Amino acid sequence: MSADERALTVAPSTTTAWSRTRLGAFLSQPLSWVFISVVGIVGFLSLYPTFFLFYGSLTDAPLGVPGHFTLGNYIRAYSDPEAYPLLLNSFIFGLGASGLSLVFALTLAWITIRTNAPFRRIFELTAIVPNILPPILVSISWVMLLNPSNGLINGLFVKLLGMEKGPFNIYSMPGLIFVESLILTPLAFLIVAAALKSMDPSLEESAKTLGSNEFGVMRRVTFPLIRPAILAAGTLNFVRAVESFDTPAIIALPARIEVFTTKIWREALGSFPTNHNLAATYGVGILVIALIFVYLYRHFTSQVENFSTVTGKGFRPHQIDLGRWRFAASGLALLLLVLLVLLPLLVLLLVAVLPYYHVPTWRTWHNLTLDHFRYVWTTPRVHRAFANSLFLALAGASVCMILASLASYITVRTKIVGRSLIDGLVFIPWAFPGTAMALGLLWAYVDFPIPIYGTIWIILIAYVTRFLPYGLRAVSSTIIQVHKELEEASVVCGAGFLATFRRVLIPMMRPGVMAGWIILVTIFLREFSATLFLYSPGAEPLGPLLYFLYLDGMRGRVAAIGLVISVISIILIAFAQRYSRWETN
Amino acid sequence: MLRKAQLAFAFFTAAIFSAAPLYSQSPSLIAAAKKDGKVVVYGSLESDVADTAFKGVKNKIGIDVDYWRASATKVMDRALSEFRAGKPVVDIVLTNDNPMQIMYKEGLFAKYESPSAKDFTKESIDPNLGPRYRNVIIGVVYNKDIIKAADAPKSLEDLVKPQYRGKLVMPDPTQHTTTTQWVASLDKLMGKEKAAKFIRDLAAQKPILVESLLPAAERVATGETPIAITYVKYVYIYGQRGAPLDYVRLGKFMGDGHYLDLSAKAPHPDAGKAFIDYFLSADNMKTLAKAGEFVNRKGIYPPIPDADKIQFVEMYDLDSKAFAEKKKEYQQIFLH
Repeated sequence: MSADERALTVAPSTTTAWSRTRLGAFLSQPLSWVFISVVGIVGFLSLYPTFFLFYGSLTDAPLGVPGHFTLGNYIRAYSDPEAYPLLLNSFIFGLGASGLSLVFALTLAWITIRTNAPFRRIFELTAIVPNILPPILVSISWVMLLNPSNGLINGLFVKLLGMEKGPFNIYSMPGLIFVESLILTPLAFLIVAAALKSMDPSLEESAKTLGSNEFGVMRRVTFPLIRPAILAAGTLNFVRAVESFDTPAIIALPARIEVFTTKIWREALGSFPTNHNLAATYGVGILVIALIFVYLYRHFTSQVENFSTVTGKGFRPHQIDLGRWRFAASGLALLLLVLLVLLPLLVLLLVAVLPYYHVPTWRTWHNLTLDHFRYVWTTPRVHRAFANSLFLALAGASVCMILASLASYITVRTKIVGRSLIDGLVFIPWAFPGTAMALGLLWAYVDFPIPIYGTIWIILIAYVTRFLPYGLRAVSSTIIQVHKELEEASVVCGAGFLATFRRVLIPMMRPGVMAGWIILVTIFLREFSATLFLYSPGAEPLGPLLYFLYLDGMRGRVAAIGLVISVISIILIAFAQRYSRWETN
Repeated sequence: MLRKAQLAFAFFTAAIFSAAPLYSQSPSLIAAAKKDGKVVVYGSLESDVADTAFKGVKNKIGIDVDYWRASATKVMDRALSEFRAGKPVVDIVLTNDNPMQIMYKEGLFAKYESPSAKDFTKESIDPNLGPRYRNVIIGVVYNKDIIKAADAPKSLEDLVKPQYRGKLVMPDPTQHTTTTQWVASLDKLMGKEKAAKFIRDLAAQKPILVESLLPAAERVATGETPIAITYVKYVYIYGQRGAPLDYVRLGKFMGDGHYLDLSAKAPHPDAGKAFIDYFLSADNMKTLAKAGEFVNRKGIYPPIPDADKIQFVEMYDLDSKAFAEKKKEYQQIFLH
């Protein structure tokens, strides 16, 4: 334990004077003030809206109306025997989607980061693009490709192979899992790729020297070393799938598959009038499930020393030579990117140049139009939405990553009593379903003493509150791998906490920080579930604009805006990746 | 000379009156509205239709419209939450009958009798909410490229014939509130017994269930499913873009009414009043009809074939208890 940490470990005291001395020692450390500030900010952001949701679940009246204490919402929500088979469906869906997304992400990350496969940089750059597309658009694209009636891929099979019926049916549990896993892959990719970038390949080289083949190295060395990142990505994606509503609404509903979120929608959020209290109660249930997974994650990663691979003894990740297999690796990465990026984007492009979507025929070529793009260039409402969203994405992601870096340093690196509290606090708002959390935020800030309701700042607060866990996971999985001896050396050389943090840890955490920043920027550019409740009518960001255009059946305009956002995000990702590479440090 | 002058005066007067706009408003209200600067509207009117109406507001009154578009339920949620919390942002709420009645009962609206309201028929004026400016009409829409007019269903009852099994898409009545209301109101068209049997037979056809009326229409436009229960106006809206859609002439069609009212705590009350006056004016009704809306003015119809022959039947207003019961009932019928 370092001198700093010894001073910061506050044990129960026996005498007041002794306590005062300990408290004095605690408060004299700059790190203590950082800890207090981070806990204060994160605690407020997390607990304030959560309190309103808990309060809502225990009362029988909506916001602003004095109600009575009741457990009736809990009895109604959880005494229904139909709820439990649906929970099982959600569990299968969540497990399948997060598992498949990890397989896709691991394959893609390993090929692009650790091998000498050709075009790997381009693959790495494009792997994150799907994160910018609203999940609802990805789901719709896949319905257009794989629906059993006139899906484009099914149609191709029928035409080319003379089949009677296309082989794929998107309206099924495998279809649902497949589409959701594609939506979740970019997030898993970013987290796993950051961990792979920070890994010391000398361990792999040692294994090879001792006679292990490439597969053995991967199984016995690489995979265990990036286990925290895999678990982090798996945990995040599992919870994200379980609370997702968009994909089930589009694919599960026609397939007559019910999951827990469709039940929440029917009985609470989609009921008339919306039953806020019941929605909050279901939200609390999902929160409990999510927190169990956070606990499991922390349990799996508690032996942090086991994962430290970036030490002060010098490291420089380098590519594994795949020999002639490198082309096969590129082919596999390309296939994954066709599924993740190319096919949905091609469908979007098609939708963007058609007056209305239909299966293309020869007649289609005469009807192509650039009207939807013209709408993007000429409409002041669209320009204003781009400006608002860019501000929210850049500012929100930067604030989130500063907070996440400090919080993950305290959680992973120090022995401060109560440090694990931060992890729990950060996860609470994220673990609620998006719309339930938006209700909590609305209730919390509509009557806030500082008049931020109806301004852009409330959206910024909502983004930081809800999406901080993404940043935290991305940084934590990197910081776990950085050995303490580097900071200890810095402290021995006389540097204080802030200097060590700035000069040693931030450069070491850079891949994780930039990975988190990219995830957040891409999410903030298209977020709508919280934004919809909170934005003021004159300051519309892109998420609600896309949502309203979608609601009004303007798929062509949505696709055109989606494509422009993709281009902007690729530029931002390229910029961020340039600064995340070790070789640029 | 006098006669010439008289003729000139008569001609001049006639010219002025014939050129007078269909919409006229008190100059003092317009001046007060301009002082307010803008009007904030929460509504579920589709953005493109709303934009054409708001352009008129800008041209005629000279104020900007900040529009927050969402589903009817979300519009009500937000307006009520702000109202109860004492943080009113909205001036005008513009949405379906049921949520408007709930907001009225909560005291959200101020009484404003617009001079433009006198041009609506008595039947279309609700004592609480004022004129029902448009009807949203639900019918049976089909893709003409896939189903020929001769082979298309001729009535609602035809939908349950074996040849249409698996060819129908509709919003899930256990999820989508307007569809719950539509199914629950079918007895208005068929009588109780027939309606109960029709609902069971319809479920037995295993229609593809989607989240709302628009995705149902889209699936017909793309050709994924040939027939949909959806809004009739999509025949025009998608037809404008080239989609081969038509609708079954049912004679009587059920649907919902739309209203707009001024908030009792409107931050821009004069702008709100001027907005209502313009919105209900004949000028604006014509604009809305041109965009495909069934407005409640005699002789003004959307450019949809046989629109003038449609007989509108308003669906039942259901309270929250009735909605919950119906959704539960339809869950048993449609999902099991």
